[in-house]
Amino acid sequence: MAAPMELSCWGGDWGLPSLHPESLTVMAYAKFSGAPLTVNTIHNSWRAPKGDVPVLISEDIVISQPAKILNFLRRQKYNADYELSAKQGADTLAYIALLEEKLLPALLHTFWVEAENYCSVTKPWFASRIAFPLSLYLPGKMSREALNRILLTRGGPPLYSLTEVEAQIYRDAKECLNLLSKRLGTSQFFFGDTPTTLDAFVFGFLAPIYKVCFPRVQLQEHLKQLPNLCRFCDDILTCYFRLTLSGHSPAGQDIADANLQKLTQLVNKESNLIEKIRLSLFLCRWTTTFVRVLSIPLES
Amino acid sequence: MSLVAEAFVTQLAAAEPWPENAALYQQLKEEQILLSDNASSLAVQAFLQMCNLPIRVVCRANAEYMSPSGKVPFIHVGNQVVSELGPIVQFVKAKGHSLSDGLDEVQKAEMKAYMELVNNMLLTAELYLQWCDDVTVEEITHPRYGSPYPWPLNRILSYQKQWEVRRKMKAIGWAGKTLEQVLEDVDQCCQALSQRLGTQPYFFNKQPTELDALVFGHLFTILTTQLTTDELSEKVKNYSNLTAFCRRIEQQYFEGHDKDSATTVAARSAKRSLLR
Repeated sequence: MAAPMELSCWGGDWGLPSLHPESLTVMAYAKFSGAPLTVNTIHNSWRAPKGDVPVLISEDIVISQPAKILNFLRRQKYNADYELSAKQGADTLAYIALLEEKLLPALLHTFWVEAENYCSVTKPWFASRIAFPLSLYLPGKMSREALNRILLTRGGPPLYSLTEVEAQIYRDAKECLNLLSKRLGTSQFFFGDTPTTLDAFVFGFLAPIYKVCFPRVQLQEHLKQLPNLCRFCDDILTCYFRLTLSGHSPAGQDIADANLQKLTQLVNKESNLIEKIRLSLFLCRWTTTFVRVLSIPLES
Repeated sequence: MSLVAEAFVTQLAAAEPWPENAALYQQLKEEQILLSDNASSLAVQAFLQMCNLPIRVVCRANAEYMSPSGKVPFIHVGNQVVSELGPIVQFVKAKGHSLSDGLDEVQKAEMKAYMELVNNMLLTAELYLQWCDDVTVEEITHPRYGSPYPWPLNRILSYQKQWEVRRKMKAIGWAGKTLEQVLEDVDQCCQALSQRLGTQPYFFNKQPTELDALVFGHLFTILTTQLTTDELSEKVKNYSNLTAFCRRIEQQYFEGHDKDSATTVAARSAKRSLLR
């Protein structure tokens, strides 16, 4: 009997089990391979997320990156690639490299760098799930790291301004989505009828783009024009994560989504405000007690 | 480049045929060029040979600074300058030569995915080895990189480049890797390439494509460059179909050409021959 395994990762919203692509990849792989993972979403406690999330903890072993976590699961005999041929295994590695090179920069940009998206959606969402002092610092740090990564990997000459870099990375991302769509074709998963590692990675990268409602959504609009990729994400959500799709019409669904998003943002902002008020009250009380304690020797 | 500028350049490119005096610029072969730049340069030369387009190799100490994107190699064709394999392939395609026209859509997707795999794993591993592994940096990279320049400029330039590369490694998460982990990644990549190649002569069976040129450039350079340890080339030698692939392309496209061809000089300067 394998030791119990705990996965610590970011939680979900908008119908997804997690908003974070890497966490989503690991969760999807665990479902595909039948690994019994207990998922602990990070939620506003003082146990700060240390370094890289997702983190798998099994007895005393702590593993942090998705590729390493998946290797560990495979060694524990939870292998979703059992029926793949050698060539299909090689194709998996190649397509994962394609996702990381072409799609990830645009994904990071949409979430963390695009000013409207970051200020109205990403920052409040993440800040509401991190404990108070860190919530002021950590989202900003994640945003700076994302921008840094984009500029260092894609920002060299002859692209000299951020707008040119942005145009290039969105073009590459759209091309990558087209390639994935052509590769998927009409089959249910990338390698036949059972999902594998590649399906987990593609789902992990595509689902946040597909489901999260941002103000600036050029990548989502492009993705919605590729119906087989949308069907792929929806199939995995319904079959493996038991999240039902609502039966509303598209317009009604959009309005409902927009309302839900506004409500979520309001709740997030309020919870941040409540935390700040709590801390300031605590500081006031502490200061008054301190002054009283100091004034006792003076009075006597 | 904006879409309009790209379309304009493509239009210009398509207008003229390939000239006789096209030149490919790289750093000095014997003293200066490093593993990763040599691999990229060889990949472009192999691609142009496969397209049957004449090119002469010109070695300049400041090739990196002349390049429009800061990376070598770059080609000077007519009055245009294009650098790196990706843009060069598109430029050559605009002139009417293409190696991947016969592929269907799924195969093209696969080809692009495998090219990203080589760039993501092999090229990054080469950069790691030559700029983040202290032994290699001290013994090979620093002496070679700044060799055409006088002291202290040679040290300043190589430290500056090292700082840049280390920043990039940190951003993509490779800074925390050890040399063993990097070599394991190289092994995984070679295994994937070997499994994809199988027993076919080229990756897409009948004809070579830009993927074959890219893989040849990297693997041949790894096999024939002498570093402080043999571990990197041993990883590639484990896969006999990959060494046979390199030999086949070398024999078909590089031997029997003029004395200045890239591979003969590389073999001379690298103190090791592939065919031993």
